[in-house]
Amino acid sequence: MDANTMIDSLSTQFPDAVFDTKVESKIRIFAKVKPENIKDVCMYLKGNLSFGHLCCEFGIDFPDRNEIEVVYVIGSYDHSVVLTLKALLPRDNPEIESVVSVYWNASWYERETYELFGVKYLNHPDLRPLVLPEDMLGEWPLRKDYKGFPNKTAKNLV
Amino acid sequence: MAVEQTDYEEIPGVILTDRNAISDFVKKTKAQDILNWGRKNSLWFTVNAMGCCGVELLSTGMAHYDTDRFGIIPRNSPRHADVLIISGYVTKKYLPALTRIWEQMPSPKWVIAFGDCAISGGPFYESYSTHQNVDQIFPVDVFVPGCPPRCEALIQAFFELQKKIEAKQDRGTEY
Repeated sequence: MDANTMIDSLSTQFPDAVFDTKVESKIRIFAKVKPENIKDVCMYLKGNLSFGHLCCEFGIDFPDRNEIEVVYVIGSYDHSVVLTLKALLPRDNPEIESVVSVYWNASWYERETYELFGVKYLNHPDLRPLVLPEDMLGEWPLRKDYKGFPNKTAKNLV
Repeated sequence: MAVEQTDYEEIPGVILTDRNAISDFVKKTKAQDILNWGRKNSLWFTVNAMGCCGVELLSTGMAHYDTDRFGIIPRNSPRHADVLIISGYVTKKYLPALTRIWEQMPSPKWVIAFGDCAISGGPFYESYSTHQNVDQIFPVDVFVPGCPPRCEALIQAFFELQKKIEAKQDRGTEY
């Protein structure tokens, strides 16, 4: 199965949920997905298209478009195609279904995206900050309008 | 942040004191010189590798540099140690743990800020998640610049600390 048939299969299965598909090369394909369908799409990808390996999951902040993108990069153990899946969330209330039940390693990615961008993952088994202290929750340091950076209080600069 | 001292329990036949009269008296006499001579020659340090400088810290304690001949011995428990080496950036999440290590160490104790990160934050000097100006939290006696400093620099820092203790200029004790 090559990249084009995979994209066609995905679009046919989810005609409403998957849009803006793009085949960049034989090994890189892109798609955008509606946030409410992300879990179904991931289950289909894992079950039918053998995308068994979630390489990473992260957020991107777009203040001018008032959106936060959650990006899933999914690879496979059986073929060489890598799929980049994007879900667009509103910036004032970013909520998306967790994919931990499909890809178990998404747990820490989602915890980190939660603490840094404030994306709320629904039905996540253990949604708490990963590396930031608890009292920094709510500051969302990687958003573009974060005020705490750069922190200019350092003295003794070497 | 010392533990608040409460009144001692009454123990039959034992007289306890909560005052430092004896040690305060000794500090004014020549006996303190002998005490300081003993202290400066047994500077045991905590193995508390906090960043990349921690690798240098670990190698300093290894056989190659043989710091045992100066009385500088790595200890795995802060309760055995005299010197806390802050060997990296102090994140906001790590500061409570570091403070706890510091409180577990028995007095007299000293601090060495090892590496650029401990002194000023190093590459993370503007970061949102690191604590700036660690020297305002801990009484740092010796600063060792470098990224990372070499093991010889750490041994040099111990010598400077020994000189300070001998001259009663260290911040570990109030003379």
